[in-house]
Amino acid sequence: MDEMQEIMEDFLVEAFEMIEQLDQDLVELESNPDDLELLNKIFRVAHTIKGSGSFLNLDILTRLTHHMEDILNKARKGELKITPDIMDVILESVDMMKALLENIRDNGTDVTDDIDIEPVVVKLDAISQGKELSEAAPSESKEQKEETVEVADEDELTEEDYANMSPDEIEAEIERLIQKRAEEDKARREAKKKQEASSKTNNEKQEEKQESKPVVKKETKPATNTKKAETKNVPAKKVSTVEQTIRVDVNRLDNLMNLIGELVLSKNRLIKIYNDVEERYEGEHFLDELNQVVSSISIVTTDLQIAVMKTRMLQIGKVFNKFPRVIRDLSRDLGKKVNLIIKGEETELDKSIIEEIGDPLMHMIRNSVDHGIEAPEERIEVGKPEVGTVELKAYNEGNQIVIEIADDGKGMDPDVLKSKALEKGIISEKEADMMSDKEAFMLIFKAGFSTAAKVTNVSGRGVGMDVVKTNVEKLNGIIEVDSTPGKGSVFKIKIPLTLAIIQALLVSAQEELFAVPLANVIETVRITIEDISTVEGKSVLKLRDEVLPLVNMSDIFNIEKILGITQYLYVVVLGVGASKVGLIVDGLIGQEEIVIKSLGEYLKGIKGIAGATIRGDGKVTLIVDVAALMQLAKETHSKTIVTANIETKKKKENPEDYVVLVVDDSNTDRKIMKNAIKPLGFTIKEATNGEEALNILKNDSNIDAALVDIEMPKMDGYTLAQEIRKYNRFKNLPLIAVTSRTTKSDRVRGVEVGMNEYITKPYTPDYLANVLKRNLKLS
Amino acid sequence: MSNQLQNVIKQQQEQTNGLGNNTDQKDDNIIQLVGFIVGNEEFAVPILSIQEIIKPIEWTKVPFTDDFVLGVFNLRGNVLPLIDLRRKFKASEAEFDDDARFIVIKVGDELAGFVIDRLTEALRIESNSILPPPDTSMERDAVIEGIARKDDRIITILKINSLLKINNG
Repeated sequence: MDEMQEIMEDFLVEAFEMIEQLDQDLVELESNPDDLELLNKIFRVAHTIKGSGSFLNLDILTRLTHHMEDILNKARKGELKITPDIMDVILESVDMMKALLENIRDNGTDVTDDIDIEPVVVKLDAISQGKELSEAAPSESKEQKEETVEVADEDELTEEDYANMSPDEIEAEIERLIQKRAEEDKARREAKKKQEASSKTNNEKQEEKQESKPVVKKETKPATNTKKAETKNVPAKKVSTVEQTIRVDVNRLDNLMNLIGELVLSKNRLIKIYNDVEERYEGEHFLDELNQVVSSISIVTTDLQIAVMKTRMLQIGKVFNKFPRVIRDLSRDLGKKVNLIIKGEETELDKSIIEEIGDPLMHMIRNSVDHGIEAPEERIEVGKPEVGTVELKAYNEGNQIVIEIADDGKGMDPDVLKSKALEKGIISEKEADMMSDKEAFMLIFKAGFSTAAKVTNVSGRGVGMDVVKTNVEKLNGIIEVDSTPGKGSVFKIKIPLTLAIIQALLVSAQEELFAVPLANVIETVRITIEDISTVEGKSVLKLRDEVLPLVNMSDIFNIEKILGITQYLYVVVLGVGASKVGLIVDGLIGQEEIVIKSLGEYLKGIKGIAGATIRGDGKVTLIVDVAALMQLAKETHSKTIVTANIETKKKKENPEDYVVLVVDDSNTDRKIMKNAIKPLGFTIKEATNGEEALNILKNDSNIDAALVDIEMPKMDGYTLAQEIRKYNRFKNLPLIAVTSRTTKSDRVRGVEVGMNEYITKPYTPDYLANVLKRNLKLS
Repeated sequence: MSNQLQNVIKQQQEQTNGLGNNTDQKDDNIIQLVGFIVGNEEFAVPILSIQEIIKPIEWTKVPFTDDFVLGVFNLRGNVLPLIDLRRKFKASEAEFDDDARFIVIKVGDELAGFVIDRLTEALRIESNSILPPPDTSMERDAVIEGIARKDDRIITILKINSLLKINNG
């Protein structure tokens, strides 16, 4: 029984694949009814499904396909002309075939109360008889009989006789069956050959395959496997293009992808370690070798990643294929004439994206036909060709795939959209005034927006386009719309190639790092506080001709502000669709390839966070969900950016307002320093070594400068300076080395680790005070 | 590995060896737990639910979470949530000292790290000596499996599957 199950599964997989192709072929056939090659292809599919179906005792399916095959056979022989009406019936029966196959997949049988094939069978019969009266009922039933007899014959043999046969007899039986099959095939092919000289090469290929197959089978398959060998043969000989492929469980590929993800992380880590080592052991011989190994590992990893990504890639044609049928049905329903042009169906996308993109695309295509393309009379009136065109196109653009849906319909008028949105209360009047045309087009993706005057069963039910947008954004994609009234509209969907590994911009908010998907980063700019203006209590930035709302990343994520105010601010301009936001960050770290990891069940669904990644240093960095972040940005009041700055700026004017940390292990030295600066009014804190000083700094954010000795126990001054500079908030903290080390290399080292000044002992109290005042910008 | 952990393992081994002579029947009633201190109380979780115990490492804060969720940390390439049991149980909020540990526990299908003040020992407790949790209305009772006594200590046994239930802190 397992054997049967396996055969059944194979059959289903194949049948679904073939049917997918069938839809497209049939629609094509309608426009080229005389394409013999196409007809043959379609006939073969019907025939194969019939053959395998009868073997698997799927009587209803067999009966249906048999009648279909009948008509196709006649059309193939030129006895019947395929008209749109006939095509309707054929398509109907294909739909029924699909339903039956689905039922078989779910329930293991084609016997069901839900599907009644009789009406279709009658229609099919009527077509076949009505057109071809001479060989009507009698010959047909005869033909049918022949088929069933043949099948029954095989069944009998496989079911009954094997049990009684000796191994030798079984061998002989197998050989007989195979030969019989081969002869039948040969005869059939010969007949075909006469008809179609054009597909000759194809057939030869098949013949070769056919000849080599039985030999292998005969040697290796034990008697119980005969059935399988038989069925395997049936579909194999029908496949027109032989591809070198194997089916692999998707889970295995997912697993492989995860492993590659780990490898990419390790690679990043290796590169980081190499950079550290390079700094420390500059000029050493082994560095060269290490460099070679690191670069070769990093190249191989990247190649491996691409290779594995490719194994998960499917052609987008898989999705596109169903649209000719959709367009055909739609245009007949709506009484419109529409021609669908498909380009770039060989463009490849990750499997997970292919699975998700079908529904949004379907919706947009329906939208284009229903809302975009005008009725034929209307088109003629405005001087356009009667038949409208919808172009579906896919192509690569950098790291992204672009899917374009263009129609030459009536287009959209931004002003109409705006007034409509106003009417429905989706936007305010003020928003409408400020809206650019592109933003106006994006209104159609708002929930509750529909421009269709009358509700059809195709679109315009008020749901849909907003769901399209959500689905596309789930794939990290964006939608762009362009339209000219009277000329047509173009929708562009841009999606990343793969979901697992992306390019990201690393930014810091206070001490915390975040990764922003590069696909959503339009640009980064450095501004000063003066560049920020306030409109209606909200901070905005005028950038070239645009006004960007500004929001501080620390405000969005409620990160405590510990950093002092610097002169410059970094703004990351984020874009999702037509809307843009300027995100103020405290630092731009760089661009990196990151592997997206989930935060797990417990922490999932956090607003503004899409996941996490592990960086080269082993730390976890959160990945920003840009679409959600922009939503959060709207809710966050960013008024505080400017005011907070002014407050902190005002606070400190006199030496009394400053706190200075004195770090020295010698009590005497600390006293000398204190005596030198105390008279000016500074508040002084003391630490006896680097470690202590670091702890004080970490816990007390009020320290404004540090005087640091170099020679100290536990942690020396150089290390202390290095550690301090690792923190963003201490990037600009004045550090003054006060030491008796006087050589030039000491001074150089001091600068290297981040000291602002280097004072050698002995020094005059005035000199120390002046240096400190200068560094604190006190006059 | 810390001395403490070694002690724990050693004790456990001794116990196992010592009990090797006993009948299997008796083993059925014995639950093996790992005890630890959070604040002033001793808690315990079943030893089999623990994946590993590590010294505190760096973690990353995650916005919009409860205050007892410290963030996430990297355990050999996996991103795991880190929960401070001291904050969850409203105990001390002391800095991490040398005894503090992350206990990585498997909760359902998920791994998560929990911060504790220090480990005590591996415990073997007869299941029928475990008392049901006291009948109070304290929030944290939702995560208590039962109370065990050992010598003069009172040990609270935690309900693993409730540790990651959201909104019970």
